[in-house]
Amino acid sequence: MTDALTPQAPRSGRTRSRRWVPTAIGATVAVLIVVLVWNLFTGALFFYNADEAIERRSELGDDRFTLQGTPVGCSIVAGVQGSDAVTAFTVAFDGALVDVVHRGEPAELFEGGTPVVLDGQWVNDSAGVDGFEGLADDGWHYASDRMRVKHDEDYINDDEYEERLAEADALAAAGDCTA
Amino acid sequence: MTAIAPASNHTGSRTTRLLGAAVLLGLVALILLGFFGAPEDDEQRDAVRMIFIHVPSAIFTYVAFVTTAIGSVMWLLRRSIWWDTVAGAAAEIGLLFCGLTLFTGSVWGRPTWNTYWDWGDVRLVTTLILFLMMIGYLSVRSLGGDEGATATRAAVIGVLAAAILPIVNRSVEWWENNTLHQKSTLTDGDLENLTLFTLFVGFAVWGLFFAWSLIHRFRITWLERELRAIDLDRALDERRAERDDV
Repeated sequence: MTDALTPQAPRSGRTRSRRWVPTAIGATVAVLIVVLVWNLFTGALFFYNADEAIERRSELGDDRFTLQGTPVGCSIVAGVQGSDAVTAFTVAFDGALVDVVHRGEPAELFEGGTPVVLDGQWVNDSAGVDGFEGLADDGWHYASDRMRVKHDEDYINDDEYEERLAEADALAAAGDCTA
Repeated sequence: MTAIAPASNHTGSRTTRLLGAAVLLGLVALILLGFFGAPEDDEQRDAVRMIFIHVPSAIFTYVAFVTTAIGSVMWLLRRSIWWDTVAGAAAEIGLLFCGLTLFTGSVWGRPTWNTYWDWGDVRLVTTLILFLMMIGYLSVRSLGGDEGATATRAAVIGVLAAAILPIVNRSVEWWENNTLHQKSTLTDGDLENLTLFTLFVGFAVWGLFFAWSLIHRFRITWLERELRAIDLDRALDERRAERDDV
């Protein structure tokens, strides 16, 4: 009589096939996690700060790498290199300076004083952009083709901010980058 | 046999109705403060207003997944169905918050970082891994079969997912050169008073919503369990009746 109380097998394959859905999702998720962790450890974003990039210049050669630095406001110039429209500027980090020539649209928040993360490579030549006098001026420049902005964790509304920006722009227009 | 019938056909109560009303009022206040009260940021302009959704979502992702981890540990130690139900409910809400964190972060990233996503960014990718782990956790919970074994398997994933929370949270400090993400707004940031106040309103609203949805989800899951028990009792009764007829 205990047989009568024994649970019966599912009548159709529907219940069993339904279990494949979460199993498949779980397996896909596991594979995705492995891929993501692998991608993370290959360091796709790892960037060198400007001072490290200069130190490792010979080691980096003409390899592509990611550079971080803070644009010096008064150095920013929109110009032409060859036939391409470019933005030339100098980035600073811990006292080290790197002249940069960026092809393509600069980021929306690109401005002096806000750090940028750039993809590109060293070029053993001066920038060669009319009107741009690189502050590094060491016979090298960094040719960039992708720009991201690394803003900080401060969210402030300073009444004098616009004035300071206008002052920096006026200095740049006057070609004075010493202030 | 005693059939356990649900007391009502909904999961609301006086407490949840109050919580729900508070969430709605709080949302109105948050929208007004977020759009018209808090000042714009010097650099980010109006894009900064995303902070009022993004940061509370991220914080309550942590709260939800820690709740899941506590529930999972309690299941593993005491086989407490109550805690297992809490764990599952918190994971579902945490997944929602985590998805919202990823989405709002991405939308915020476009005008500020100049990119929606970066596959090598340690904060973004570890958050995505957390999101996927919780999908895995919920997939395991929905596998069916023996409820005890399913709860145990899910609990192990729940604890593992919580173990990566410190990595997600501290990644911006530990791997500074691998992320575009700024450091912690709350511990390292400098915020305007009204921005900070609005952010705390956001925390309050998200906290109330978390409590409201956790209670509802808990009750739904609990009723589902009771319903399964009723179905099982009914099936056993039918089998017994068949046996008695023979």
